[in-house]
Amino acid sequence: MRKSIEEDDNLREALRYSAAMLGELRTSLLSPQKYYELYMMVFDQLVNLEAFFSEERNKGRSFSELYELVQHAGNVLPRLYLMVAVGCLYIRSKEAKAKEILKDLVELCKGVQHPTRGLFLRSYLCQRSKGLLPDTGSPYEGNGGGDIHDAVDFLLSNFIEMNKLWVRMQHQGNARDKEKREQERQQLQDLVGKNLTYLSQLDGLDYELYAGMVLPRVIEQVVSCKDGIAQQYLMQCIIQGFPDAFHLGTLDVLLGALPELQPEVKVHAIMSSLMDRLAKYAESDAAVMQRLLEMKAFEKFRDSIGRVLNAQTDMAAADKVEMFVALMNFTGSVLPNIVDNVNQVLAAAHAALATGLSGDIKAEKQLVALLTIPLTKYDVVTGLGLTEYPILMGLLRHRTHKELASKIIHAIVDSGTRIHSVEKVAMLFRFISPLIKDVEGGPRVDDMDDEDIEEEQVLVARLIHSLFHEDPAIHHAILSLAKSELMHGGARRVRHTLPALGFCALQIVRRISSASKASPSLRSNAECEAGFGAASPDINAETTETDAEAVNIEVKAVDAEAEADVTAAAANASELTAGALLQWLLELCNVLAEVPREPMMALRMLLAAGLAASEEARVELLAYQFFEEAFTLYEEGISDQRNRVTALHSIIGTLNRCYIFGSENRDALAQNAAAYSSRLLKRSDQCHSVCECSHLSWQDDSTEVPGVAVRDSARVMSCLKRALKIANSAKQQVTVAARAGDCSYITLYIEILEHYLFYFDRSVENFTASVLQPVIDMVQSEVMLSLTKAGESEAQRLWSKTLEYIHQLKVKATGDKVVRYSALQLPSFQQGSKASL
Amino acid sequence: MLILCIGDLHIPHRACDLPQQFKELLKPGKIHSILSTGNLCCKSFIDYLKNLTSDIHLVQGDFDEFTSPESSIVNLGGFKIGISHGHQVVPWGDTDRLGHMQRQMDVDILITGHTHEYKVTTCGSGLQINPGSATGAYSTCRNTVTPSFVLLDLDGSKATVYVYQLVDGKVKVEKVDYVKPT
Repeated sequence: MRKSIEEDDNLREALRYSAAMLGELRTSLLSPQKYYELYMMVFDQLVNLEAFFSEERNKGRSFSELYELVQHAGNVLPRLYLMVAVGCLYIRSKEAKAKEILKDLVELCKGVQHPTRGLFLRSYLCQRSKGLLPDTGSPYEGNGGGDIHDAVDFLLSNFIEMNKLWVRMQHQGNARDKEKREQERQQLQDLVGKNLTYLSQLDGLDYELYAGMVLPRVIEQVVSCKDGIAQQYLMQCIIQGFPDAFHLGTLDVLLGALPELQPEVKVHAIMSSLMDRLAKYAESDAAVMQRLLEMKAFEKFRDSIGRVLNAQTDMAAADKVEMFVALMNFTGSVLPNIVDNVNQVLAAAHAALATGLSGDIKAEKQLVALLTIPLTKYDVVTGLGLTEYPILMGLLRHRTHKELASKIIHAIVDSGTRIHSVEKVAMLFRFISPLIKDVEGGPRVDDMDDEDIEEEQVLVARLIHSLFHEDPAIHHAILSLAKSELMHGGARRVRHTLPALGFCALQIVRRISSASKASPSLRSNAECEAGFGAASPDINAETTETDAEAVNIEVKAVDAEAEADVTAAAANASELTAGALLQWLLELCNVLAEVPREPMMALRMLLAAGLAASEEARVELLAYQFFEEAFTLYEEGISDQRNRVTALHSIIGTLNRCYIFGSENRDALAQNAAAYSSRLLKRSDQCHSVCECSHLSWQDDSTEVPGVAVRDSARVMSCLKRALKIANSAKQQVTVAARAGDCSYITLYIEILEHYLFYFDRSVENFTASVLQPVIDMVQSEVMLSLTKAGESEAQRLWSKTLEYIHQLKVKATGDKVVRYSALQLPSFQQGSKASL
Repeated sequence: MLILCIGDLHIPHRACDLPQQFKELLKPGKIHSILSTGNLCCKSFIDYLKNLTSDIHLVQGDFDEFTSPESSIVNLGGFKIGISHGHQVVPWGDTDRLGHMQRQMDVDILITGHTHEYKVTTCGSGLQINPGSATGAYSTCRNTVTPSFVLLDLDGSKATVYVYQLVDGKVKVEKVDYVKPT
């Protein structure tokens, strides 16, 4: 054919050969893929032919002649291809009216009823006629050439015919090849879709035309063809191809078509596409959001989903959830202020999933996606208001449920959000229930690893710091609620979370105490004393004697009355006292103490609370109670020696900081401490601890209440003397056991000396140079003795440093210290040089 | 040589997390060693520290949920440095008593915590550093706690102490110089 075009310039021959070539397209043997390849080859050649035709025309032959001529081709298919080719050129030349030619062609193509051949033929028509339609503003419009209506008509007719052919393919051949046929059909889907694409690209297609003419006819064809593949594809075509603005107006029509589609159509995918598109559209334009709100788009979608669910009862769970995901995204983008919508979506989803997920992983993934949307689109606090949320979470597998709960907690702690109300906190605990306690479907805490428990509970403990309210009473109510929820988790869980609760409570105590300091109310103090002084009447009597605060004297006089007052005050929850809170803390510590093998944490909490009771709430009775409990725990709950040593140090250290105690209480506690110190197993521990006890009788001045520091130098002295005795017996032990080279007792002496020095430096009564000197001399001689036994020892090194330190103190002394220090005779001692003395 | 001194975070008992402003400053690769005064308290924070450097020295704080030594002595950059939490010293935070600990451990620099108060003092011939609480955690001894940590820069016989404090949401840096006596 080409030859005849190029060389011979022979029209007749060209036509003959082209007809022959097009005859190849008459085959029924090829698969659509192969046919497509053939078609493309032919198409390329036809382009050449078209160029030739144009030339012919320039030579004088009119298109109408050509048009006539090509109709002489023998077979229908080649004839029609040629007619399309010429016809399009005819239109392009403006010699003919677009409307007429197009109408002609689209009708004539009905002559080919074979699905594959017909589809390609019409596709050719569609392609070649692009740009030649009498669209508004196109050069082919008007003057009898037609207008937009004709253009639309043409495309619609072509579309309808193509769809019919396409559907017919489904029923060709035998049942065995059905799957193959369906595959082939899908390969050809774009041919049909092109018509709709071109329709959407028409300039003259406005909304009225679309809604009035185009959409109804397309939908009619889609529904009436009763073919699942076609419906699935074409609905998507409509949604994706036409502008979103059109969809706004025709929403009812689109949604109305859905229930009428074949059962095998994945309606959820279509709905999701539609909702996603409208959601995106709304995001870009606020006016659209308004319109969607006015037309109750959300309700329409929700109802439509309902209808679809009713119609397709065995839709897969994953597909159902996908629809709800799309609906959730829709309302999140379009109607973000209406949080109730979200809850409705969740409720509907739950209803749809009434039978549970039954292990469907895909469905679970979709459900997680659904549940994650409110977390990201809304802040967590709003999310906590969704009552349906936890119910839906319950449908997840345990591990997934936990992961989602973790995500929620992270959302709160990472963003620094605070949860303010008791109701929201209650909801929160429902949300994270699998992390708090054993739930159905999950492992029991007894079967879990320590590490796993710790990881989970540390996260929960961090969460507790996000629960907050300025009003101490409400904050306390929140913490109480948290505690009762957490207690369901059992001892292995709460040991990680109760301390966090405790310290949050201590911070409330501080807030209450500093508030009442700012506006002092002696009355509240009295209430605390009287109400919780029921413990020990003896102590009550003692404290009134020595305690300078006038308040307590008042209390003693009106004891009975005050108690009644207190119960009334305590019942008034809006007026939370530090005392009441501390009482709550005491109970918490007791719970913690019952956790097996973990008494140290309980002890520490008791001491921290005791210190707060003493220094902040200034409630002596309660403080005493805390220390009493601490000693009891020490005695009965802590048996490991190392733990005992550290526990005792902690008690002593904390007690040293308490300024609230009257002398009776103080003495009782101090003596207890000293007694326990002497009973420690190792001499060195005893010595160390007893030395520390000396600080219980002599405190630095308090910054809060100056003048109440205890200054009992006699007691201090007796402590240190006792320590010396212990050190002596330690030395005895070494001598008796003839352990040459064991100079550890010397470090004990040095330690005791350091304590003497501490009090000497602070001019404590009775700690004069004459008291200190013998100790210095004693240590010096001990060190000298030890030198003869072995080489350098740690004791020698330490002694030399200590001497150096005392020397520095002497040098730096100012004021009256100069005199005192000058009375000290310091031996010189250089490490490693035995001969220096 | 940069050494991070940090502690008393009390996560999760008293604080939720290290302040974001501090996290942004602490990046891996710049810090040689970490000396922790204890009371982190959870094990997962150790993983965070391991991310910054592998040379980590931990000591036992009274609230720590894991066991580590009561005290530790390390040799870094020519300095002998001792670390202990400090709850063992009575009265808490007393310079003289800490000095005794320093003499016992025979170290040039002693790093302790517990008081949640940043402090740098010289006692005798040694340097005492308290990096404070990195999270500003509640302390039974102090009403307000400013989050802080310390970076120690050792160079020959000179030690520069940089303290980073979080005040009103902004990080403030101060520095103290110390020269090891010969």
